[in-house]
Amino acid sequence: MSLEEKIEEAIVAWDEDSLKDLCNSSIESDDVGASELLRIIGRIMRKIGKLFEEEEIFLPDLIGAANVVKNVIDDVLDPAIRNSGEKRETLGRVVLGTVEGDVHSIGKDLVAAFLFSNGFEVFNLGEEVPPAKYIEKAEEVNAQIIGLSSLLTMSMDIQRQVIEELKNRGLRNKYKVIIGGSPTSEEWAKEIDADGWADDAIEAVMLAKKIIQDK
Amino acid sequence: MENLRLKYLKPLSKDEIQIIDSAAIELLSRVGIKIDAESARKLFKDYGCEVEINTNFVKIPEELMRENLKKIPNSFKLYGADGSFNFEVDTKSTKFATIGTPVKIYDPSQKKGIRRTVLEDTIQQIRIVDSLENILCSHIDVWPNDIKVTALHAHCIYQWYKNSKKPYGLGCLGKLASQDMMDMTSVIVGGEKELKLNPRLVGFMNPTSPLHLPQLMTNGYEIFAKYNQPTIIASEAMAGSTAPVTLAGLLVQIVAETIGGAVLGQLYNPGSPIFFGTVSNTTDMRSGNSAIGAIETGLITAGMAQMARFYDIPSRGPGAVTDSKVLDIQNGFERLQTLMFAVQAGINYITCAGTYEATLVEALELLVIDDELASICLRAMEGIQVNEDTIGLDVIRKIALSPKKGTTYLSEKHTRKYMKKELFIPKLIDRNRRTTWRKKGSKDIIERARDRINELLQNYVPPETNPDIEAKLLTMIKDIEERTIDLYKETEGISADGVSIGHVEIKTDKEN
Repeated sequence: MSLEEKIEEAIVAWDEDSLKDLCNSSIESDDVGASELLRIIGRIMRKIGKLFEEEEIFLPDLIGAANVVKNVIDDVLDPAIRNSGEKRETLGRVVLGTVEGDVHSIGKDLVAAFLFSNGFEVFNLGEEVPPAKYIEKAEEVNAQIIGLSSLLTMSMDIQRQVIEELKNRGLRNKYKVIIGGSPTSEEWAKEIDADGWADDAIEAVMLAKKIIQDK
Repeated sequence: MENLRLKYLKPLSKDEIQIIDSAAIELLSRVGIKIDAESARKLFKDYGCEVEINTNFVKIPEELMRENLKKIPNSFKLYGADGSFNFEVDTKSTKFATIGTPVKIYDPSQKKGIRRTVLEDTIQQIRIVDSLENILCSHIDVWPNDIKVTALHAHCIYQWYKNSKKPYGLGCLGKLASQDMMDMTSVIVGGEKELKLNPRLVGFMNPTSPLHLPQLMTNGYEIFAKYNQPTIIASEAMAGSTAPVTLAGLLVQIVAETIGGAVLGQLYNPGSPIFFGTVSNTTDMRSGNSAIGAIETGLITAGMAQMARFYDIPSRGPGAVTDSKVLDIQNGFERLQTLMFAVQAGINYITCAGTYEATLVEALELLVIDDELASICLRAMEGIQVNEDTIGLDVIRKIALSPKKGTTYLSEKHTRKYMKKELFIPKLIDRNRRTTWRKKGSKDIIERARDRINELLQNYVPPETNPDIEAKLLTMIKDIEERTIDLYKETEGISADGVSIGHVEIKTDKEN
């Protein structure tokens, strides 16, 4: 079995320990470096994402695999890449979360997993995220995109408030803001001056890719 | 049903089962059952039955019935043409098959939405059934109106050989046609011995209610029994017209009709397999039409399942049947209502898939939908599994106490381990949000089912066939086609002008 096959097996089985062992031993033996491991994992995650899109696998399969991979990147690959003085290859950095007053996580986590499987670096802030927190995190990690999820009519207005806050701080043009969630719409995105609206996780990836290309 | 935890639906108590059994036995021994075929009457007479000369009613002594009911096997296997596919029919499991005999098919391109069926439709239906997970057998369901009726069985057997790995069912349409079916199938499977040992065909023997075994049917049934091919004995009695309006009275009558047929089969060939069946339903009290989608059909089916278990014989009953003329809500709820009743009743062989308008019209779309409905009903029967691992206290604790807000069970191993077991994941049912659904073409379930059919037909790989066998079959078909209708009439001893099989009226007064 090739290294890539072994990695895939560990990801599909959600076997975080094996995946860490595989990555560590590969880096230590100077066999395959951390950046290359990241590329391999990226390929596998895209494959898993495609299987999900084609309805061959289910939501837990995708989110669980993304969680395992994220932990391995955070604990093993990112530190190794930093140590080697290289920079992590990424399609782009996205800060996202569900807005303040809203605890819905499933759709947003799916978007996070899907962006991640497609090569984006994702900073998932969780739920009930206040406007300032998005901006601070985006500044900290030098993100290109801020993603705002809202599943409640009551919490939708927070999406507008994040954009207002960006304007207040003179940062509106530094970030592209994309929004989503069942009560939101293309029209709403225009009304609050967001840069894009996505109906589902697949559209969110297409939107994020387009934004990065246009930048 | 090994894994099934939901209790059977039992409309009859133990005492009531005994009462119905006693009444049916009394009916058969005192009034008897009308048998047209002289040879069958003679057979009964040889076994000590009294035959009424004027009415042709045969009175069967209780002892003869009891003794022969015991000879009927409580399980048997059915094989596909090449023998690679088989399944067991028994008194515990649930198997699904199709129901006949539609003579029209759903076709939205037609002004009326339907058209007459032709052989090409028969072939497509066989291919779809061959591709489905739950539907294990088709039975000349889609009637090929473009084929000469006297050779129809031969063409169907030929198409079954070319397009299916599953078993096949046919009506016991007289001795001549039934013998053709055995001869052709013997050619396909490599001899009579193999056919008798590992049956391929399901026979349909339908008594006419009340209490009548018609000539053509018993003629064909004799052949099926002698070749050991499992035969469904099922009345289509209608409460209020061809049976008492009371469901108890109807049950007594159809139990008697089924036992009459079953005993005859054992006299033909002791130990030959049968299904203790029903397609009985009710009479619509406004029009006199049959009402197969009625809720009472489900009760009758459930009652017959109990009676079949009482005699320890595999049962057959209808499901997913509806009287609706269109693909509407009535069509949908009557399908699920009758199917769920049949599954919950513990019917062992549910003939159910693909029809509407009281089984007069086929829709391949419904065929794939019914395959999914079968999975749904089976899931329901699995009930709720309770044990330490399914309760999952550890995982509840973990998620509830997670410091990360919004943590769900979605990415837990517990979820992944049980998701497919606990949750039936449908292929055709839509659960998307409106926007996603719209993006996918705003399709209703019929359109999605059509997509699935196109996909199945496109990807269909027919089984490998043997050119020598094909040539032999074609020669047999040619010979069969050359027969005259008079030959049929003479062979079957039919003097009437026509017989009706399912929805098809076969006229014998002129060449078809």
